Amino acid sequence: MSAPRATVSDRVARAALSRLGEPGDLRLTRLVRELGAVELFDLLAGEKDLAGIYSDVAGRLRALDPQRELDDAAARGIRFVCPGDEEWPSALDDLHAAEPVQGRGGVPVGLWVKGPLSLREATGCAAAVVGSRSATTYGAEVASEIGAQLAGNRVCVVSGAAFGIDQAAHRGALAARGPTIAVLACGVDRAYPSGHKNLLDYIADVGLLVSELPPGCAPTKLRFLSRNRVIAALARGTVVVEAAVRSGALNTANWTTRLHRVLMGVPGPVTSAPSEGVHDLIRRGDAALVTRGADVLELLAPVGSFLVPEARGPERSHDRLTDRERQVLDAVPVSVAVSIGSVARTAGVAEREAAAALRRLTVRGLVESHDGRWRLARRE
Amino acid sequence: MPLATARTISLQGATGHLIDVQVDVTRGLVSTSLVGRPDASINEARDRCRVAIGNSGFDWPNTRRVTILLSPADLPKRGPHFDLAIAVGVLAASEAVPRAALAGVVFIGELSLDGRLRSVPGVLPMTMAAASHGIGCVVVPEPQAEEAAMVPGMSVVGVRSLRQVVAALRKEEVPDAPPVQPLSAGPLLSWRGERQVADLDMADVLGMADPRYSVEVAAAGGHHLMLTGPRGAGKTTLAERIPGLLPDLSVEESLELTAIHSLAEALPTSGGLLTRPPFRAPHHSASKASLLGGGTGRVRPGEISRAHNGVLFLDELPLFSSDVLEALRQPLESGEITIARGEEVATFPARAMIVMASNPCPCGDYHPHDRDNRCTCPEVKRRAYRSRLSGPLADRIDITRYVEPVRPHELADPLASPEPSDRIRARVTAARERQRRRYADTPWRLNAEVPGPVLRQRWPLVEKAGVALDAQVYAGRLTRRGATRVHRLAWTVADLRGADLPGPDELDTALRLRDGQPLRLDLLAERAG
Repeated sequence: MSAPRATVSDRVARAALSRLGEPGDLRLTRLVRELGAVELFDLLAGEKDLAGIYSDVAGRLRALDPQRELDDAAARGIRFVCPGDEEWPSALDDLHAAEPVQGRGGVPVGLWVKGPLSLREATGCAAAVVGSRSATTYGAEVASEIGAQLAGNRVCVVSGAAFGIDQAAHRGALAARGPTIAVLACGVDRAYPSGHKNLLDYIADVGLLVSELPPGCAPTKLRFLSRNRVIAALARGTVVVEAAVRSGALNTANWTTRLHRVLMGVPGPVTSAPSEGVHDLIRRGDAALVTRGADVLELLAPVGSFLVPEARGPERSHDRLTDRERQVLDAVPVSVAVSIGSVARTAGVAEREAAAALRRLTVRGLVESHDGRWRLARRE
Repeated sequence: MPLATARTISLQGATGHLIDVQVDVTRGLVSTSLVGRPDASINEARDRCRVAIGNSGFDWPNTRRVTILLSPADLPKRGPHFDLAIAVGVLAASEAVPRAALAGVVFIGELSLDGRLRSVPGVLPMTMAAASHGIGCVVVPEPQAEEAAMVPGMSVVGVRSLRQVVAALRKEEVPDAPPVQPLSAGPLLSWRGERQVADLDMADVLGMADPRYSVEVAAAGGHHLMLTGPRGAGKTTLAERIPGLLPDLSVEESLELTAIHSLAEALPTSGGLLTRPPFRAPHHSASKASLLGGGTGRVRPGEISRAHNGVLFLDELPLFSSDVLEALRQPLESGEITIARGEEVATFPARAMIVMASNPCPCGDYHPHDRDNRCTCPEVKRRAYRSRLSGPLADRIDITRYVEPVRPHELADPLASPEPSDRIRARVTAARERQRRRYADTPWRLNAEVPGPVLRQRWPLVEKAGVALDAQVYAGRLTRRGATRVHRLAWTVADLRGADLPGPDELDTALRLRDGQPLRLDLLAERAG
């Protein structure tokens, strides 16, 4: 087995490395960057123990056949996208410079992808919508509404296909017939969670399933953490809807901050435990408060291209009065008409000014006079 | 001694008293007197019976003094169904039929002048009362034999005329007679979609995760439910589907319900026991008497009793008159309604699950959470509208739920697969079965019926949850009665999940249901899985 192999292509080497290593293993992602995937793979195939990687992967190396794996995957509609490919989203390259979280980080060696969208095009403008699995119906409703509003504006909704907020966000996007990407912590051929088989199948038909892990791999706790960095890196910004203080969604939020992307949070009732983590992000100034799709669009779209109209109450007839006119208006009685002198005294203005103000108020239909005495106009 | 006793039943509300009709025929001044507090229709029985006996080919003791006593004498009695017992009593006293044959038999029926029998309301409850007094045989008008035969172990004789009754008592061959008209000649009106409530399915309800779960809990534990929300949000849609979530009635429940409908003269002419839970939706202009029971003459059960073991739906609640709403408080709490009048006190069962729906304001557009709120009502009017639901009545509602209008994206969700009613009904049935087993040695069937003190003593929450609930009371967030309702709700949530005891999770859900807060998704997902 130790005979030097015929050098494989970069793509095959990356496919092999994605099978050998754990996603987000810093040693591996750094060495790929320094040596190149082909070189690193050749060294490992030559049983060279770089940074202890060889001892870790020896077991997996024995059964490895990357070319066949790529062919098998292709036969099942799964493609392998790696740096240099036309479909590779450059947004992922930012991961190189981002500070690792819990010993995980770096640019993925490649991504296994299933679905009709182009990964690069879909992530041209994408927003991650993530949150707790133990969410409330409030969170789910908000997440699917935001998902629908984003996707309706052709912003791709990226999430993790988990129970709770994730699935609500995907379904909102699907309902709006818009793009959505599910980033998984297992092979894209696996239905996890199994209750979401229909959802995953549907996304594979109209959106994209994406994973750092090759087909067949099972999800583990650490793989979820590595997966979160891909979600954050594929999106321009991340919206956190309901995350309790120890939720995995906060890990995605952390990655968003380290990637210098836009972090957003949807508030809930202040007494609600599932919103506590989000409230914390907002309170510390890490996340911007958003309440609907338009808020998210304003933060993600190029500056000034999408502005949310300022919230304002309905206009009232009093809004356009000057301070002095209001002062006079306040002095006019409701039912019993009084003289100008009385209005002026009550208002504390000169009689001439009161007379002028009353004329203007009459024009606006706010006061009426009977035989030189004034009162408020009756409303119908 | 020329004295005979025939028996019948007198109803007061849903309570039946066994009445001895004692007839004495002696020499003396020729007369017929009827004593024992008969009402006008019984007084007329003298004439009906005399003519009917004559026209049937028998002899009225015309030359004698006939005294008829309805005993016990202190009970006021009502209704034309005493005719048959009086006629048979007179015939027995004048030795036209053997007196011994009258023992252990109850006679029910009105006579017409040609001696034929007429149907009377309330045959089922009368037969049930007869059975509870140890009577083994009833004689009833033929069309109502089926109704009477619903009572287990009762031997029922359905007859068409007085001659047939006499022949049966003499053990002679029963002569033929023209058939008797059933009580009501069928509905005057029928219209397409009349029976549509039975076909409505939860599978048609998109979105609304919270309200869906709320109606499931309400159905499982028999809890009163309040749905508010802007017009068109789907409150009525949900309420109409609640009967579809309930299991078929048990035999005992069917008998209760059928008996009430028999008293209300609302029993369909064909088809035996009512086995499906009823759904009654009185209009908001309904009077107190129609809703609670009463009326002129005989006290009839109201809508709340006709909805017994089923659903009473009060749509547009604030439009109901306020004394009707106030009067609902007692039945809501006790599960029965007592109507007291000068002479009589009638008690009917009224253990309906009450579902109320209300707009949040007179214009129907007010939305407390939605920034797209388009309500134009002044706040004062809105408050006045809400206050129609007075505090004490509101406190008797177990579950409050704000129904949000379905969002456009929910309608378009390609993966939406709303659960159909039969799947929910299976869970509700299982939960009710758990309750039945738990309360087997008690008079209660559902969590909503169990009194607070008993519940706290015999079926407490897991200790940690109990402490948390008490803390809510001390903090002033719940009244004592409110806490009892949360306690019952926690049991229903546990029964639906198949948990043995309600713990902190179940308590959390119960509190959310009571306050109308958003529910936890994992709980709802658990049901689908």
